[in-house]
Amino acid sequence: MAEGGDVEWELSKENIQPLRRGRAISALHQALSQQQEGHSSATNQQRQAFECELRMYDGEDPLDVWDRYIKWTEQTFPQGGKESNLATLLERAVTRFTDEKKYHEDPRYVHLWIKFAENCPEPLDIYRFMQAQGIGVTQASFYIAWSEEYENQGNCRKADLVFQEGFKKCAEPNDKLLQFHKALQARVSRRAMMDVEEEESDNEPKEPERVSLADLKHRGKKKAIAPVNRTGPAIRSVSGGLQSRGTSILGNASNSRLMIFDETKTQSAGPSEPKLESWMAPPTSRAKENEQRPEKWSDVKIPQKSKFGHTVMAPPPPKPTFQPFVEESDQPPTMTPCKINPAVNTVLSARKPCREETPLKRLQDHHHQQREGEAGKPQEQSMYCKELLLSGAVEFSFEELRAERHFKKTAQESEVRRQRDQANASTAN
Amino acid sequence: MTSTLKGITLKGSAELVAEFFSFGINSILYQRGIYPPETFTRITHYDMSLQLTTDPKLKNYLTNVVSQLKEWLFECTVQKLVLVITCLETSEVLERWQFDIECDKSAKESSAPREKSIKTIQDEIRSVIRQITATITFLPLLETPCAFDLLVYTDKDLLVPDKWEESGPNIINQSEEVRLRSFTTSIHKVNSMVAYKRTDSV
Repeated sequence: MAEGGDVEWELSKENIQPLRRGRAISALHQALSQQQEGHSSATNQQRQAFECELRMYDGEDPLDVWDRYIKWTEQTFPQGGKESNLATLLERAVTRFTDEKKYHEDPRYVHLWIKFAENCPEPLDIYRFMQAQGIGVTQASFYIAWSEEYENQGNCRKADLVFQEGFKKCAEPNDKLLQFHKALQARVSRRAMMDVEEEESDNEPKEPERVSLADLKHRGKKKAIAPVNRTGPAIRSVSGGLQSRGTSILGNASNSRLMIFDETKTQSAGPSEPKLESWMAPPTSRAKENEQRPEKWSDVKIPQKSKFGHTVMAPPPPKPTFQPFVEESDQPPTMTPCKINPAVNTVLSARKPCREETPLKRLQDHHHQQREGEAGKPQEQSMYCKELLLSGAVEFSFEELRAERHFKKTAQESEVRRQRDQANASTAN
Repeated sequence: MTSTLKGITLKGSAELVAEFFSFGINSILYQRGIYPPETFTRITHYDMSLQLTTDPKLKNYLTNVVSQLKEWLFECTVQKLVLVITCLETSEVLERWQFDIECDKSAKESSAPREKSIKTIQDEIRSVIRQITATITFLPLLETPCAFDLLVYTDKDLLVPDKWEESGPNIINQSEEVRLRSFTTSIHKVNSMVAYKRTDSV
């Protein structure tokens, strides 16, 4: 029944990210079988080859390498994730060509941007940025992706406006844009229809609801039995229970200004009652009971170094009057284990990206820097081929670049020699 | 008597296979979004929940096809059932679900039931339908509104019924093909396969 490798994809279907364009099944099989063995050298070699190509390419169309590299990455790492490096790759590719006007309307480049936006926490910002930069403004796919994002966020009006903008800019292919616009309209109208239907069904007489904690009229003469039907007339007094008890207490202490809150009463007072009050402070994020608030530790002293070099601990608590039992073999710990103070930690820790540093922010910074450079402001200039070392998703070393150039040169030389030999041989004949 | 309960006859087999196609086609139409999801209702069959259409026209069409198919299955004259998904605007074929049917024609002569319990057959059918559901992991997104068509390949000498017409195979050029699981009732064997447009041709 099970046909060999064919079940492979089914077993790990949860770990395969669906792609808009689908997946090549052969690549998928290969990727999944490699995953079980751990990433093979073949994948690494392929990646290295792409990285090399990115740096050594000197043709007309550098975007092509990036495009192929990214497509390969998508197919080779079906589960996505950090290992695939896809997010970095997309970001690098996208920033790299921001200033190259010739790519701004290239469908491949626009698709890279859209993929990049989909990987970002705030895709709408990216689309706005693209519009401001004039990237893909005549591409139908740009408007479609933007509109879909608005629609996903539930803003159908904005989604429609995006299409209008696309029509104004005469985005190509026009019929594709028209078709998606029609589909959007169909979806919106269908949703509206369904909402209307739901409202109509809401207008039907409601089933009487049971009231919690209501006094029920008992049935039965000798023995009080709760009625089966516990709504409407079966309830003894809907709002009376609380009130009657409340008044009796109030009667005893007439002077007290105690007001008893009655939920049912305030509700009946009218729908205009609930007022929209602005939050004085943002709501606490966690509604937790028994939580200790952070407070000033004014009376806590940090142990200070004495001149003898060892730390002075806080004075030990008075010795207990009894002798605590200590197991003979047990060495009492000399110090209670505590977290090492990060300020004196000698080990370098990786710098965490601060929260503000979104991909878009980085992009804008990059852009800003370039503007400044153009304006003639003094700028850092690295006296080595920094661009080449860092241009891919992985950092290269000088030696790798040199080796690459060397191999290329030797290959060329041997090719020339071979041709010359051939030429010689033919003349000898 | 007890042996007939466990075994399966040609008639029973035809019914089981036709039932599988009914549920299978419904699942594909639901999974691939050919019809809006709210026109489907959930039912439980084969110990799993399946989506069944509530659209009256579609329901009528499918009942027609399945009952005709059952007849052909009983006569062992059907070879293939193909579900073709085409783009509504350009009528380009985007996906092709092919179910090859192998009939054991000797079952027509001997009416003796075969030794295979319905439960095992249904287990096999269940795994095929599960796999159909799982194919969305690699199938491309159908971005445009699509239509579907059912093609049935029969033996050549068969007369075409009134409501049917002859058609071409609707093959996708440059396609990627994936074999799915198969199941057998020991009289009919069904091999499933899906073909879709290759990614780099987009």
